[in-house]
Amino acid sequence: MSALPVASLTRGPQVLLAPTEPLAGERLLPVHDALVPLLPQGGLRRGSTIAVTGRGAVTSLALALVAQASSAGSWTAVVGLPGLGLVAAHELGVSLDRCALVDHPPPGTWGQVVGALIGAVDVVLWSPPPRLPRSETRRVAARMRERGTVLVQVSGASTGPSPDVTLTVTDVTWQGIERGHGRLAARRVSLERSGRGAAARLLRVDLWLPGPDGRPAAVEPEATVHRFPAALPA
Amino acid sequence: MVVWLPHWPLTAAGIGPDEPAVVVQANRVVAASPAARHRQVTVGLRRREAQARCPEIAVLQHDPSRDARYFEPVVQALDRFTPRIEILEPGWCSFPTRGPSRYFGGDEALAVKVLQVLDAALAGPELSVAGRVGVADGPFTAEVAARDTVTRSRVVAPGASAGFLAPLPVTVLDHRGQRLVDRESLVDLLWRLGLRTLGDVAEVPASDLAARFGPDGLVAHSLASGLDDQPPDTRPPPPRWAVEAELDPPAERVEAATFWAKALADELHERLAAEGLAASRVLIEAQTEHGESMARSWRHEGALRAGDLAARVRWQLDGWLHSVARPTAPITLLRLVPEEVVAHHGRQLGFWGGETQATHRAARALARLQGLVGTEGVAVPELRGGRGPADQAGRVPVAAVDVTAEPRPVEAPERVEAPWPGRVPPPSPALVHPAPLPVELTGADQQAVEVTGRGELTAEPVRMRSGTAGRPALDRPALDQQVTAWSGPWPCDELWWDPAAHRRRARLQVVLDDGVAHLLTREGGRWFLEATYD
Repeated sequence: MSALPVASLTRGPQVLLAPTEPLAGERLLPVHDALVPLLPQGGLRRGSTIAVTGRGAVTSLALALVAQASSAGSWTAVVGLPGLGLVAAHELGVSLDRCALVDHPPPGTWGQVVGALIGAVDVVLWSPPPRLPRSETRRVAARMRERGTVLVQVSGASTGPSPDVTLTVTDVTWQGIERGHGRLAARRVSLERSGRGAAARLLRVDLWLPGPDGRPAAVEPEATVHRFPAALPA
Repeated sequence: MVVWLPHWPLTAAGIGPDEPAVVVQANRVVAASPAARHRQVTVGLRRREAQARCPEIAVLQHDPSRDARYFEPVVQALDRFTPRIEILEPGWCSFPTRGPSRYFGGDEALAVKVLQVLDAALAGPELSVAGRVGVADGPFTAEVAARDTVTRSRVVAPGASAGFLAPLPVTVLDHRGQRLVDRESLVDLLWRLGLRTLGDVAEVPASDLAARFGPDGLVAHSLASGLDDQPPDTRPPPPRWAVEAELDPPAERVEAATFWAKALADELHERLAAEGLAASRVLIEAQTEHGESMARSWRHEGALRAGDLAARVRWQLDGWLHSVARPTAPITLLRLVPEEVVAHHGRQLGFWGGETQATHRAARALARLQGLVGTEGVAVPELRGGRGPADQAGRVPVAAVDVTAEPRPVEAPERVEAPWPGRVPPPSPALVHPAPLPVELTGADQQAVEVTGRGELTAEPVRMRSGTAGRPALDRPALDQQVTAWSGPWPCDELWWDPAAHRRRARLQVVLDDGVAHLLTREGGRWFLEATYD
């Protein structure tokens, strides 16, 4: 009869389970409070892909998604976005000290570039090229799941790994600017969430991105009232 | 024997000794031609100072791979004397003379032959430099001999090293005593203590030097006594330490091979570090599909770090691919063999090192990426301060900064904090178009909207359309839209004191009828779509 180690007897059988699975907290990268309702787990799940599409606030939304993780110590790599506004990234809370940019990966090296970054940085923000071999996409997706890197895909190209969560910007409204006076101050963004698994339920959310203080903010319920004219048919 | 080609970086760039020229790295002169040295331009000077002393001087950027590429044919020419050539860095190489000098009839005869071969190899179209050789018991003395000779070759008889070194000033330790941890302050202090020559240093008991200066003192003492700081260890390291990789697919470009080399160098480094060692001499071997092979030894006075090693692989392959005996097929095999190892002092990571580790991991990946997309292709952002969204932040190549430093030093912090009148207030646009798109802005009467000299619009903008019939890309708005709101203009008159750089612009925020806001710039009588609040 083989004797069990004493420790396992005193602490119970659960000690025998391999504790390789990371804790729930470590599987998620934090996001700004205003963005929590958008994500089924309330954070960026390691190894998942999030696509941001639509029009009018796509880049800001992608930056806002990664900002909290970046300021909490994660590295971010930006691939294939030569027009990314670095000042806007800074204002939204992305740490520029922990950010790397590969603006123009040579054609044919995209898979290798992203592959080299996966595992080394926590978040990769990229705009996939119009053509990418399916084999490379699969390799990128598999490595991401294995290494726990989050991929944020900006804009519509359909070549990247298929997203777990898709956030679509459906409408934007700027506040603070009039015909000839004021200035751009705050932007109200209407979003639609779709996706797989827990994200499959279609969700519509309104956000301030940025709010009047420059940071994302949730839209208060009373603020939604004046979206509809008072003379709405009863 | 040490072979030295003086001011090699300049020679490799095709500069003759009579042209005043310098090679700069990070704004400091790292090599100066004889003509420049006549004009008091010395190594270590700032670039601007060098230009002030010699206004017509040619300034070249430091390019180690160019140096190595042109050095390779020289080494190939020397291959006929011995296969055991070690390259210290482009421009410097050494080999043991015991076998060759017996064959060629003594050290002096060998030195003459080597110089002849060097001159023949360097008689090429644009290369013109007089190489020098030094022969002595140890590499340090041989190097000093090569450097200090006036006759192109200097042979120090066996056992006479200490006598040869004794009258030389202590500052020669400064040249290449790279194993000294802090050689500048050591040399300075020795000088101020009255030990002006190497002979003086050698006379002081080694134990006293060790007591005062620590390990550096011992190294200085043995160098000054003509002993080598580290007698070569004749036992070869066990072959199992060698690392190799089969390249599949075979690498046709140097960049692809370098990518592998980086991984190999990391592996070798880790393997040696596990034994508490680091390599000071490494044999780099490459083989092609057709079975051609090439091997070179590289030596470093300290220890070769993984990054240094990968750079040397790149230099070597670059040189090989551009030489006469260039390979005819892609490279299939790379092997790194440590030939000489030294005890590694290691590096202590921060105790609370989670973040530091993440940063080092990222730094390693970025270094690897440079092998893939080039050094200019990988950048880090830097805030700079300015008025336009493109001026306020810039991209700096990763190779130019220390990414592990946190917070990273900014070149001009006062510029970021300074007030910038005329700056468009935040929020900043998240999409800055690398090439601004020309647009037309018209008022209610179809007339173009302009900005007056007092910074006011001539009419209320009503429509915006793209000036060119360009294709509407993903990140470009629809080409013909109503302007629903606007603000500005923010005029700015920059660098008016410098006619060449003077720019006069005005910026305007506009919101179009799809709700998207853009930043327009007017310059030279035209409107441009500079950025989008995406």
